[in-house]
Amino acid sequence: MTNYQVIDRINELLDSTDDQTVNTSMRIPSALRDAAALAVNELDLAPSTTVLTANALRAGLEAAVMQAVLDRHFQEYPDARPTLADLAIAAAELDGHPLAGQPDLLRQSAAEVEQRHPAASPEDVLLWAEARTSAAA
Amino acid sequence: MSRVVLLDNEAVHALADPSHRKHRRVVGHVQIVARRKARAVPVSIAVPSAVRVEAGWDRTAPAWAFINRLRIADIPLDASHADAAAAVLTRTGVSVADAHLGAAIRAADQVTVLTSDPRDMRLVAEGKPIDVVAV
Repeated sequence: MTNYQVIDRINELLDSTDDQTVNTSMRIPSALRDAAALAVNELDLAPSTTVLTANALRAGLEAAVMQAVLDRHFQEYPDARPTLADLAIAAAELDGHPLAGQPDLLRQSAAEVEQRHPAASPEDVLLWAEARTSAAA
Repeated sequence: MSRVVLLDNEAVHALADPSHRKHRRVVGHVQIVARRKARAVPVSIAVPSAVRVEAGWDRTAPAWAFINRLRIADIPLDASHADAAAAVLTRTGVSVADAHLGAAIRAADQVTVLTSDPRDMRLVAEGKPIDVVAV
């Protein structure tokens, strides 16, 4: 299978409406199982540990598929890859962060953070920008 | 509480077309969603089916292969959404696609809309607090 065939097959399986379930022989640490059971029973985290596990697995697979598609897209179209500043702005805009309306500040903060920490995340940039703003206030 | 990121017609085109001047900007938002999903943050991307029609997004056409693979869910124009969208259209006079966006906004918990027309999105939200990103 090519990469795209694998991605398409995973997407197909994730989109399946087949409700059929299967018992698996997957082994997980017993402490993790006990923690999940407690969280389900006492914190109402999910209707059951099965649902909790399946949801977490689905989210992980969806994230992996999306990132794999984006990575292949960036190989083909290098200019499409967002910069750290682009990602920091997007992260702020997506949930209405107070600095979302200050893209210039976020670009400046991204440049500063990236100089010292080349592997910085968009969230690092937001934190740095917030720190700068409160220090200036 | 889960967040849904909705796309309007322009956001769909910007995402689908690498030569679109806003392509990298919209891709950045998709990448943030992927990063958040990886951290188990409940967030998804969706497109109302009336928007998909307006954009000419045919999931069976090879031209849409990239955007098809990005886990963007369809919000069907089923009976309840059709009723809600019809009411939004009657009250606001927007297009069918924007009215369906309004119905989708109403049905969601937390909403971000990527749009070329922030004013119309606030109009169809009809007072519901939403985050609007101008593309």
